[in-house]
Amino acid sequence: MLTLLSMFYYICLRRRSRSGTRGEALTSRRAVESGQRAVLPVSVEVEQYAKEVLDFSSHYGSENSMSYTMWNLAGVPNVYPSSGDFTQTAVFRAYGTWWEQCASAPPPFRRTPKGFHSQDYIELGFEEPVYPTAVEVLETYYPGAIVQILACSYNPFSQNPPTDVRWEVLWSGEPTKMLTPQARQFSPTIKHINFPTNLLRLEVNSSLLDYYTELDAVILRGVKERPMLALYKMPVIDISDLSDSEEELSDVGGPFRDSKHQRTGNGYFDKLPYELIQLILSHLTLPDLSRLAQSCKLLHQHCCDPLQYTQLSLQPYWGRLSDASLGHLQSRCTLLQRLNLSWTGNRGALTLTGFSSFMKACGLSLVCLELSCCHFLNEACMEVVSQTCPGLQELNLSSCDRLNSQAFTHISKLTRLRRLVLYRTKIEQTAILSILTFCIELRHLNLGSCVRIEDYDVVASMLAARCRSLCSLDLWRCRNLTDRGLAELVSGCRMLEELDLGWCPTLQSSTGCFQHLARSLPRLRKLFLTANRTVCDSDIEELAASCLSLQHLDILGTRLVSAASLKKLLQSCPQLLLLDVSFCSQIDMRVVQELSGSFPNVAIKKSFTQ
Amino acid sequence: MLSVLSYGRLVARAVIGGLSQTDSRDYSLVTASCGFGKDFRKGILKKGMCYGDDACFIARHRSADVLGVADGVGGWRDYGVDPSQFSGTLMKTCERLVKEGRFVPSNPVGVLTTSYYELLQNKVPLLVPEHNVWLSAAALHSSTTPIQSYTVNLIIRSSSVAAQACIVVLDRQSHRLHTANLGDSGFLVVRGGEVVHRSDEQQHYFNTPFQLSIAPPGAEGAVLSDSPDAADSSSFDVQLGDIILTATDGLFDNMPDYMILQELKKLKNTNYESIQQTAQSIAKQAHVLAYDPNYMSPFAQFACDNGLNVRGGKPDDITVLLSIVAEYTD
Repeated sequence: MLTLLSMFYYICLRRRSRSGTRGEALTSRRAVESGQRAVLPVSVEVEQYAKEVLDFSSHYGSENSMSYTMWNLAGVPNVYPSSGDFTQTAVFRAYGTWWEQCASAPPPFRRTPKGFHSQDYIELGFEEPVYPTAVEVLETYYPGAIVQILACSYNPFSQNPPTDVRWEVLWSGEPTKMLTPQARQFSPTIKHINFPTNLLRLEVNSSLLDYYTELDAVILRGVKERPMLALYKMPVIDISDLSDSEEELSDVGGPFRDSKHQRTGNGYFDKLPYELIQLILSHLTLPDLSRLAQSCKLLHQHCCDPLQYTQLSLQPYWGRLSDASLGHLQSRCTLLQRLNLSWTGNRGALTLTGFSSFMKACGLSLVCLELSCCHFLNEACMEVVSQTCPGLQELNLSSCDRLNSQAFTHISKLTRLRRLVLYRTKIEQTAILSILTFCIELRHLNLGSCVRIEDYDVVASMLAARCRSLCSLDLWRCRNLTDRGLAELVSGCRMLEELDLGWCPTLQSSTGCFQHLARSLPRLRKLFLTANRTVCDSDIEELAASCLSLQHLDILGTRLVSAASLKKLLQSCPQLLLLDVSFCSQIDMRVVQELSGSFPNVAIKKSFTQ
Repeated sequence: MLSVLSYGRLVARAVIGGLSQTDSRDYSLVTASCGFGKDFRKGILKKGMCYGDDACFIARHRSADVLGVADGVGGWRDYGVDPSQFSGTLMKTCERLVKEGRFVPSNPVGVLTTSYYELLQNKVPLLVPEHNVWLSAAALHSSTTPIQSYTVNLIIRSSSVAAQACIVVLDRQSHRLHTANLGDSGFLVVRGGEVVHRSDEQQHYFNTPFQLSIAPPGAEGAVLSDSPDAADSSSFDVQLGDIILTATDGLFDNMPDYMILQELKKLKNTNYESIQQTAQSIAKQAHVLAYDPNYMSPFAQFACDNGLNVRGGKPDDITVLLSIVAEYTD
């Protein structure tokens, strides 16, 4: 009897409680729909340092070293909170505007969106994918260079091939400059994204900085579980948000909406002459142009006019470019002269088929091709380039370090080449010699950090023999150029204006090679003798006597140069703009201040370690 | 019958288990350091593991424990170079290489040569080449971890700072000790109160040991220099409880073996404090003896054997690293 009663009560109570919870669930759902906030579960925040550096566009250090190289950005900080120029940090190859002022720098591309400032990038992989809540960058020298932080949906350590790779901008800003070069922890407010990530990309712009920026570590803070907050936020549709442009870029080839003739209500815009509309449209960025093409037939005609596409820079859209996008742009690019595909196509976004069909469509008139950091390139792609672009004059393969050495043999077919950048590539001796044999019109050549070239003396003598109009040469970190090779080079290439011999350990001043260089190249405007510890007073005096147009000089790290010879140089070279005397033991801060006072137009750089 | 069999099986399993257990345990070095700089003022102000012109480092890696000492030769000071900066940076670079795993435990010379190469990559001019140092093509072709495929032959041509260095690597799993020694610094391995291994003394002629150096400007022929491949290297097995003493010549020139062994006898257990105490007492004793004008130090003894009539200790920077082989605990 009692048991029956207790059972009865039990059933009733359970039913009541169950209906109660159902009711609660209903109310909470209503709360969700009405946008009210509910109590969030507490999630554990995970803090991690970068596990591995996966990709980067440039660095200061040598390829098999741990000093000033990008690999230092992984792991725990080594220097922070100290400030200074230390070997254990990650340093990029260039800073300021000095490289842009050189003749070897290409002119900027038109239609670069105002928000795109990136000059270099580095990609970091972390151990665990998290929903990021904060990203902190420890900068230890001349901070302020970071302009964008992005997160990727793809896990770089997974074995699966990348599918549907999305890049989301966590933070974006302008390049800045701090008042002091002291270390700082940079922690911008980042956007919350709806996918977990363990692959971050930092983009930097050091153009406002007074010296090389140095980064020590990157910290990624995030939560493992998806934060509930995301459910409450309505995505703000921003008209200027470029993520919308992906649809436009791919839709653009699709059928346009307008089939009826629109009555005027557009302020007689269509009455303007054709060329004037073209001129107006030439100021639009590519996504805007693509959107405009969908508005009406007339504007579609204008926006697809190949004359609008004589210069095309797809670098700002590197994260969204795919074979399909190239396919849609193909029909407009028949008059293309300058093409920038730098940074694009990685992780499977571009393939040989897409690239080759695009090159076949636009290669005939192509004059300049920028393919910096394009890791999708392979030997077949280079062959396509050599076949479809017979008139190519500028080729940039900077940091294409996954391109095998065989691919470079095809470059020798581009006999009209004037500018060739092979910084940090795996080009070998035979390929470079064959290029120099056939590309005799070379004006600007960059062989910085080409570690696979065995004998630079032979390369130098080939240059002297074949490329007589050479105007700028970058031999940064060429490890075995000797005075013999240098002497041949300067006697053959008399038009040389820029010569970068930084960190070439085998050049010795006692052979007189630098004095010979100064006497042979009176037009010299840029000379980098970074970390050549043998540069001495007589070299500086010879430069002062012979190279009166000198603008940039770097003699970092020599003990043998005195203040007196520098003064002579500054007096004789009125156009001097940059003088780097970091770690020159006879030139201390007092001397630098004195010289800066007497010669205010010259930026005298003196780096410090502490 | 069955119980005998099962008992036998148990015993057999225990014995085999015990044996294999000793083999599979990882070893580690518990190390303490102590030292005195020759110049009293300097020794106190230097931070980190630097004693005068000497420097040392202790580094741990998953696969190995590595120690090193470097003795900066003071003679280059006249050329305006600071030998303590060279030896200090060399040791710090070795430490960093080990921590990042850029070394092969069985190749301690590789640690030295790679950190030497890294010193050349430093913007700060630690070395002062008039002519520069070349590195062989093989080394620079390597795109894999630098040290593994390094066969760096430093063709040393120009002026720099000299240092003697000794690197000791304990491979945790194989229980082997690999050493590289260039110069007068060295090590002793003591087991059961006796020296079972030692570094060979290397000297060209009296008081000018082999050096890792580059000649000063204008004096290339007249200065002694050896490539790091002239380093004396050896490897041998070690057992739990072995004591390894690594030191610069400041110790060995002032304290004969029997005195060192006497001090080591006082070391009773393997905890860090007692090792630190013993290291300190050894270093202190050597420091005191170095300034004793009447004491017949090993240095003086060696000089007399070579025909020079001297007595007394040899004032020098002293650096002592005392380690005991113990089991690896994380």
